[in-house]
Amino acid sequence: MAPAANGVEEPISSSLEDYLETIYLLVQEQGFARVKDVARARDVKAASVSIALRKLAELALVRYERREYIALTPDGEKAGRRVFSRHRLLTRFFEEVLSMKPEAASEQACVMEHSLTDEAMDRLVRFFEFLGTCPSVVESFKRCPLAQERAGKAALADAPRACTVCTKKNEESSMSLAELRPGQGAMVAKVGATGALRQRLLDMGILPETPIDVERVGLGGDPFWVRCQGARLALRRSEASSILVHAVEETAPAK
Amino acid sequence: MLATATPIASEVPGREIRVALAGNPNCGKTSLFNALTGARQHVANYAGVTVERRSGSCTLGDNQFEIVDLPGTYSLSSYSPEERVAQDELTAAPDVVVVVVDSTQLQRHLVLLGQVMQTGVRLVLCLNMADEARAAGQKLDLPLMEKLLGFPVVETVGHRAQGVANLKEAIARVAAAPASPSRLVLGEAMDEALAAIRQHLPKASGAIFASDWMATRLLLDDRYYAGRIAGMPGGSVAIEKAREQRERLQARTGLDIAVFVSGCYSGFTQGLLREVCTQPCRPDARQLTDRLDAVLVHRLLGLPIFALVMYAIFWLTFKVGEIPMGWIESGVQWTAGALGGLWPAESPSLLRSLLVDGVIGGVGGVIVFLPNIVLLFLGLAFLEDTGYMARAAFLTDRLMHRFGLHGKSFIPMLSGFGCSVPGIMATRTLESHRDRIITMLVLPLMSCGARLTIWMLLIPAFFPPAWRAPMLWFVYAIGIVLALFLALILRKTLMRGDDSPFVMELPPYRLPTLRSVPIRMMERSGLYLRKAGTTILGISILLWAATSFPRPPSHAHVETARVESAAPVSSEAGSPSALDKLEYSVAGRIGHGLEPAFKPLGFDWKIVTAMIGAFAAKEVFVAQMGIVYSIADADKGSEGLRKVLARDYSPLVGFSLMLFLLVGMPCMATVAVTRRESGKWSYALLQLGGLTGIAYVLSLLVYQIGKLVV
Repeated sequence: MAPAANGVEEPISSSLEDYLETIYLLVQEQGFARVKDVARARDVKAASVSIALRKLAELALVRYERREYIALTPDGEKAGRRVFSRHRLLTRFFEEVLSMKPEAASEQACVMEHSLTDEAMDRLVRFFEFLGTCPSVVESFKRCPLAQERAGKAALADAPRACTVCTKKNEESSMSLAELRPGQGAMVAKVGATGALRQRLLDMGILPETPIDVERVGLGGDPFWVRCQGARLALRRSEASSILVHAVEETAPAK
Repeated sequence: MLATATPIASEVPGREIRVALAGNPNCGKTSLFNALTGARQHVANYAGVTVERRSGSCTLGDNQFEIVDLPGTYSLSSYSPEERVAQDELTAAPDVVVVVVDSTQLQRHLVLLGQVMQTGVRLVLCLNMADEARAAGQKLDLPLMEKLLGFPVVETVGHRAQGVANLKEAIARVAAAPASPSRLVLGEAMDEALAAIRQHLPKASGAIFASDWMATRLLLDDRYYAGRIAGMPGGSVAIEKAREQRERLQARTGLDIAVFVSGCYSGFTQGLLREVCTQPCRPDARQLTDRLDAVLVHRLLGLPIFALVMYAIFWLTFKVGEIPMGWIESGVQWTAGALGGLWPAESPSLLRSLLVDGVIGGVGGVIVFLPNIVLLFLGLAFLEDTGYMARAAFLTDRLMHRFGLHGKSFIPMLSGFGCSVPGIMATRTLESHRDRIITMLVLPLMSCGARLTIWMLLIPAFFPPAWRAPMLWFVYAIGIVLALFLALILRKTLMRGDDSPFVMELPPYRLPTLRSVPIRMMERSGLYLRKAGTTILGISILLWAATSFPRPPSHAHVETARVESAAPVSSEAGSPSALDKLEYSVAGRIGHGLEPAFKPLGFDWKIVTAMIGAFAAKEVFVAQMGIVYSIADADKGSEGLRKVLARDYSPLVGFSLMLFLLVGMPCMATVAVTRRESGKWSYALLQLGGLTGIAYVLSLLVYQIGKLVV
């Protein structure tokens, strides 16, 4: 939806918006737009262009100057610029933030530029401006396992440590087993390791929603001695830090 | 699960029933296996010690059982060699599988039962350590448990052989009946997924490959089985279906597939126990273990206590060992005297020389150290069986990790003080190939019991009494420091890579049974004695021949009966005739040939000649020196030989020699077992060449610099 000229709320179709955008671009680039330029740019027949132009002229968005030459009315120019800026912003978002390939990003932008409401667009613009002022957010997202191509659920467990900005906040909600002190107990939230180590931890009874207690830590902070499902287990700090836990109340220090 | 209509195992009378024992590490499976078969078998409290396939047999009435003890595994996955072996045994379709669990650890141990149930085999569940569970107040409704599971459940106490008759009877009963359909319920989502995969599993390759268990392996993306299934007709379809189901389940539950599947087994166990366990173990049942751990693994006291324990074991080995050593020495001396007395004095008999100088001189000098070996192995077996070994790994991991080793490397290296061969064999407890190879390569630097023979000869020969104990300590310390240092270098160069996981169960303390420790001790001492009886006997004779032939023509038949002559030995031993004779022999010629290479280290041809023997087996060095100087060292201990050595060589040469024998030339048995355990000659040759090269350089430096200083 786009506000039509004269302030009258009137819907114009996506394809008309595309024409406006094309004309806007042509005028920006070469100073003028002809029917055949538009036809070539949009890869359609000249006849189709004429039909579209007639509609746009009815909406007072374009006017014919000499024979083939088309000019945008002030309203038309505004609408064209609006579509184009949306396109440019969305393309950049897909390309620079979400790491999509330029062609795919542009294609996706072409589809979305028409369907975003003004409000969504406005918020997106503001969010994008925020990303511009805080590039570390984009950087930490790109480093995050969740941004990788084949990210699965496992990536979610590793994600909290990837973001430097948010580490502190994530720590409050869940922490790793390695952060517990001797005598502290917790509930396993996620077993974040992979492969043989994860299978071993699971086989030893370290499963989500299982209580786990740190009983002692070796001299110098390594290895960890934990109790889980009645078994005493020894694991290194590095392995303990792959197990995320929810804190529960401290167990009595004297056993 | 498949309701397989396979033929009844004992339809044919007298047919052997193949039974596999499966269970977690530390469930007492091995002692149960002993109780069933009566086989001599090693029982340990250290996680994962049984890696070899062990089998035995027993009978009940007409039934003959062939029993295989599977390695202790926490689950049936394909990550560790133990798990691989256990799976392979199950795919070989035994007639009956007995799942052995620790009754006090049901929640964790029954997970394996769920996995075995999926294979569709005939099953017996064995609740081992039932006495401990009862003592802890656990009450189980066994009839209900049998009804819910659909197969017999038997309580046993493995180390006291209780319930074994019931177990045998249950096995025979199960083998005689058709396999009943499994009553395993893993939850709707999992069961649906398995059914969907199972449809597409290749049917032709046997029941196991069409089972729920195989479907689970594929669901878990097990590369080992995916590889095997992929090669079967229609296999790739099954793998594709498994991938679909995996993605579906992960999307549906939001859990990783491994976590989800483990949760399913755990849920089955929980559900079962909720029904049958009318009273769980009291939580405070293991208080004794906790109280012991509070001291033994104390943050500050733990390591000093461990050092004390090791000191006590070494004290036992070497101080207490002196008493029986005296008896053996006099026994050997008496035998030599009695044998020599069969010939007239001054007899030139070749046979007499062979028996007295070669056989008794060589083997006698080695058997003398049997008490040391027996006592050291007794101490180590005690530590393993009580569960303290795992604590030692916990205490030492930080140190070992710093040198690129694993806490579990500590135990094999400790065993290396007894003998490198069992030490290298013990590296099987290490899960990562890289850790195993590094431990194996540096393990010969742990001064073994055989080398103690050499130190006992050389240290008193070259150092005053006040220096002897520190010197012995120093030699051991050099070996340890060098081993750690080399491990670190290997880790940084040839054996680079990520650390292997250090996740280890610490079993509760248990008193070793009077049966298991002596069995272990005898097994290991037997290894040593066999070595003395075979390899060393053969080498002693070979070396005797090499030092006796060819005889110099002018001095033929002048050999005198030196065994009976005690005091004047030293003056006589250096007599030109004996030396000439040796120089003329094959060994002497080899020694002479190699002398230029070893001259910069301070060694003369006699030492080099004796070192040829040391490569065959370290302790042969002493016997060989005895033969070189024509002194049967069984006679009056090694006093005579020590005097000769002190006369002929400086303490600096003595130290250079000790260094070379400590670091270089791991014995043939060590090289052979390294080749076998590592699977590659290149590792064995790297060990041999690398250590000998390092030894040469070290001895060269010590001798050359020492010469400048002294």
